[in-house]
Amino acid sequence: MLARVVRIAAVVAILGLVVTLALAFRRDPHDIRTGTIGKPAPAFTLERLDGSGKVALADLSGKVVVMNFFASWCLPCTQENPALVRVYERYRASDVVMIGVNYQESRDNGLAYVQRMGMGWTTVADDDGRVAFSYGVFGPPETFFIGTDGIIAGRHIGPIDEETLVTAIEKLRGQAASR
Amino acid sequence: MNGRVAITVALVALAAALLFAARPHEVTADERIDQITTELRCPVCQGLSVRDSTSETARQMRDIVAQRVREGKSSAEIEAEFRAAYGDWIFLSPPVSSWSGLVWLVPIAAVGAGLLLVSGRLRRVETPGPVEPSAPQVAALRERVAREEATEG
Repeated sequence: MLARVVRIAAVVAILGLVVTLALAFRRDPHDIRTGTIGKPAPAFTLERLDGSGKVALADLSGKVVVMNFFASWCLPCTQENPALVRVYERYRASDVVMIGVNYQESRDNGLAYVQRMGMGWTTVADDDGRVAFSYGVFGPPETFFIGTDGIIAGRHIGPIDEETLVTAIEKLRGQAASR
Repeated sequence: MNGRVAITVALVALAAALLFAARPHEVTADERIDQITTELRCPVCQGLSVRDSTSETARQMRDIVAQRVREGKSSAEIEAEFRAAYGDWIFLSPPVSSWSGLVWLVPIAAVGAGLLLVSGRLRRVETPGPVEPSAPQVAALRERVAREEATEG
């Protein structure tokens, strides 16, 4: 009787392992669910890289916010930049706000990179990394999608492409329109 | 006699030193920072704690922990702040109370199941009891006893 119970437990354990692995391998490795997803986006007030004032998340209430953590020393950031530029041009006159957060870098280097790469959207300096930590950033590039309700709806780790950006933005715009 | 006294004095001194070292004392801010950063995983490293890593990210995390300690936050509050941002992944030792605690529980459960299986098997291998002799054996024994009695008689 005991051996039978143990045998059944072993089969259940192996099945559980197989199901877990199957589910884990099906997930997008760029879409990592950490503590911040589905929660209010941590508030911040950061200085613009060009020194022209400050930007507070609270001022963007009611808008879809795309927050991209970047650095000039980050090669994947340069790879994803053309997609960000195209998406920025597409939505610049809409209710979508893009913010680039410069990560672990001097402001001079960050600003030179922004100008060189044609980043027209708002870029801010996270000098002490506090904002990156509050969002649970592992390293650049990382992109967060914040809905009009101020909730973090998604994040993308690693270089992002245009389709992923547009899909995420349109989903949030659709949700906002249906409210 | 002097030897015994010396040994006794040495043992008493050792016990006193151990008691002194183990005495409850106020944990300093630096000790708390070390304790917390030893538990935190450096996000940009391979299996290194924030305390041990020399990366810029780890340095910034140590600064945050130090600031929170100075602000009077408890260790649990500081750890909760990092958990809110990174999940349980940020801890080098996953907490037992969460799903990641399965990392601790599954091996223990597996060992327990193995022990149950082995004990079950051992119980089934029973020691053989006394076996009734067969009729031919009984007959042979009777014949032998009779023969011996006849020889003695």
